[in-house]
Amino acid sequence: MSEKATETAAAVGLETVALTRSFGGVRAVDEATVTFRDGRINALIGPNGSGKTTFFNCVTGMIKPNSGSVLFRGKEITGRAPHRIARGGIGRSFQLCRIFPRMTVLENLLVAVRTDGLRQLLAPSRDARAIERARGLLVRVGLDHLENAEAGAISYGQQKLLELAGVLMSDPDTIMLDEPAGGVNPSLIGRIGALVRELNAEGKTFLIVEHNMEMVMSLSDHVVVFDRGRPIAEGPPSVVREDPRVLEAYLGV
Amino acid sequence: MPNASDTEERTVEGTAGRSAGGFTPPGWVRNATLVVGAALVLLFPELVPNAYVLSAGVIVACYACTATAWSFMGGFTGYVSLGHAAFFGLGAYGTGLLIRDLSLQPFLAWLLAGLIVLVVTVPVGIAALRVRGASFVIVSISFVLILLLVFQAWEDFTGGANGLNVPRPFADLYRPDHHRIFYYLFVALLAVMLLTWWVIDRSRFGAGLKAVREDEDKAEALGVPTRDYKLAAYLISATFTALAGGLYALWFGDLDPIFQFSILLGAYMVLMALLGGARNLFGPLVGAVVVGTALEYFKLEFGDTQLHLVTTAALLGIVVLFMPDGIIPAAGALLRRLGPRQASIREVTAEELLARNERRAAAGGAGAPEGASRDAPDGASGGAGEPDSESEGGR
Repeated sequence: MSEKATETAAAVGLETVALTRSFGGVRAVDEATVTFRDGRINALIGPNGSGKTTFFNCVTGMIKPNSGSVLFRGKEITGRAPHRIARGGIGRSFQLCRIFPRMTVLENLLVAVRTDGLRQLLAPSRDARAIERARGLLVRVGLDHLENAEAGAISYGQQKLLELAGVLMSDPDTIMLDEPAGGVNPSLIGRIGALVRELNAEGKTFLIVEHNMEMVMSLSDHVVVFDRGRPIAEGPPSVVREDPRVLEAYLGV
Repeated sequence: MPNASDTEERTVEGTAGRSAGGFTPPGWVRNATLVVGAALVLLFPELVPNAYVLSAGVIVACYACTATAWSFMGGFTGYVSLGHAAFFGLGAYGTGLLIRDLSLQPFLAWLLAGLIVLVVTVPVGIAALRVRGASFVIVSISFVLILLLVFQAWEDFTGGANGLNVPRPFADLYRPDHHRIFYYLFVALLAVMLLTWWVIDRSRFGAGLKAVREDEDKAEALGVPTRDYKLAAYLISATFTALAGGLYALWFGDLDPIFQFSILLGAYMVLMALLGGARNLFGPLVGAVVVGTALEYFKLEFGDTQLHLVTTAALLGIVVLFMPDGIIPAAGALLRRLGPRQASIREVTAEELLARNERRAAAGGAGAPEGASRDAPDGASGGAGEPDSESEGGR
């Protein structure tokens, strides 16, 4: 992992330039300029209220930034509709796991099938190829036995896995996870971590917001630390951990 | 929300009995019900004792059209519009005015009016769909109120409160024959709607609409262009409602803004769709038959007073309290409770699970899971070899 982190030749994936978003008088994201390289497992950490989720929402188009820009592989995507950003290759999960509770586990994945043009729009959603792909993903996250269960009825941990499978179904290059370890038990955290590593080995880039430091330190190649809406430090986990500015932000000295 | 500690254990048993996406009756029950229902609908004009009952049948068929049309929006996307009477009124007046002012052939005028409403709905939809939830309900109501005022005030053009006479398309027919023809016209329109519904319901477009109903932001994040989808559903819904309104104009022959652009009419559509089950293909139709018949009966019994509205409200109360998902899902649940248990998902017994876990452990090497939990290492796809249970199309 560490050799990947030092590799500076990796292409620039997602980047923001002076990204700003305020709510009332509070600058949740304050002129944040960050670069994430492709092929890495990037982590975004910081104390509560440091603007991580707002940053996520600005990048994925869920909220519009007041100023600044978001670029993906050099192309400006600032202010685009979320579905266009998603189709452009950036998938995301939500902090409080969001799934479609009254659909089956399988149907949850079929929603993410790409549709272009009227013909595909009216094509059956349960077509053989889509179902086969969805089943493959369910096997992968270990939910294949629940394919026809109502998604709202499965456990929270399983819903987290389902959400991840749904994001994978939309076939993103970059996957943004908002607190993947939040509210799940240790063995599942291990499993999610293993999945992330596996997917990364297959070429997926990750950007993970997480409070579980153990997970962040063991998983990520590159850590960006946010405080008061902007990055205050970044680097490989071993370096960031020792950074006095980071300690200060976390301990509030 | 279950908390973190019980994530893995209880789930297999917990969900095995629950079928997903509603109840699926056995095939023959479904088919038999369909055949009998269709036969009853088609034979209805032959079975009725007099022209009054036949005309009530036309009204119920018209209600069924409007409720089904409403559900293209309300059922698929969950956006409750209380103002769909606007489209009904526009379709009705559009048809009438095109005949009066341009002397168009009646059914050509009818189709053209539908097209006009389709076009008019584009800006209306774009504006209305900027908001969600309760705000959308208010916007939908305000639209119908605006139209009511305009059509009442613009007397030179619309006839205002004096009403608008729409010449009958079949001038030489006696009343019962007239009713019969229009009964079948409404049924034909309904059939087109049901077919459209069926196509959408199983399509990717339909899956996207249902995702909007469940969680719009999440759908958007998965790449569903929710705004376009909602607008498309709104246009389909409005146009079908307008076509029902146009047929009504041709049948009834006399329009008054107070009845055509009525909040009550929009509320009836919602009531019927919810009562039958707005997410079900035949739900709004069933709801329309029940509510439409009840409305006619209440009017006959209590029509001199406002009591018929009170009884209608009571009906709505009963539905919301006891059958929040509507009659069809409620009946399905009842059938399921009474009938032999048909698990629509594959049940996994403890033995199967153990066998699978062992297989996974053998395939994956390390990390054999404890008990029934599913912490088998990934990549060990022992479970994939098992036969997949085929669910009945989800619904």
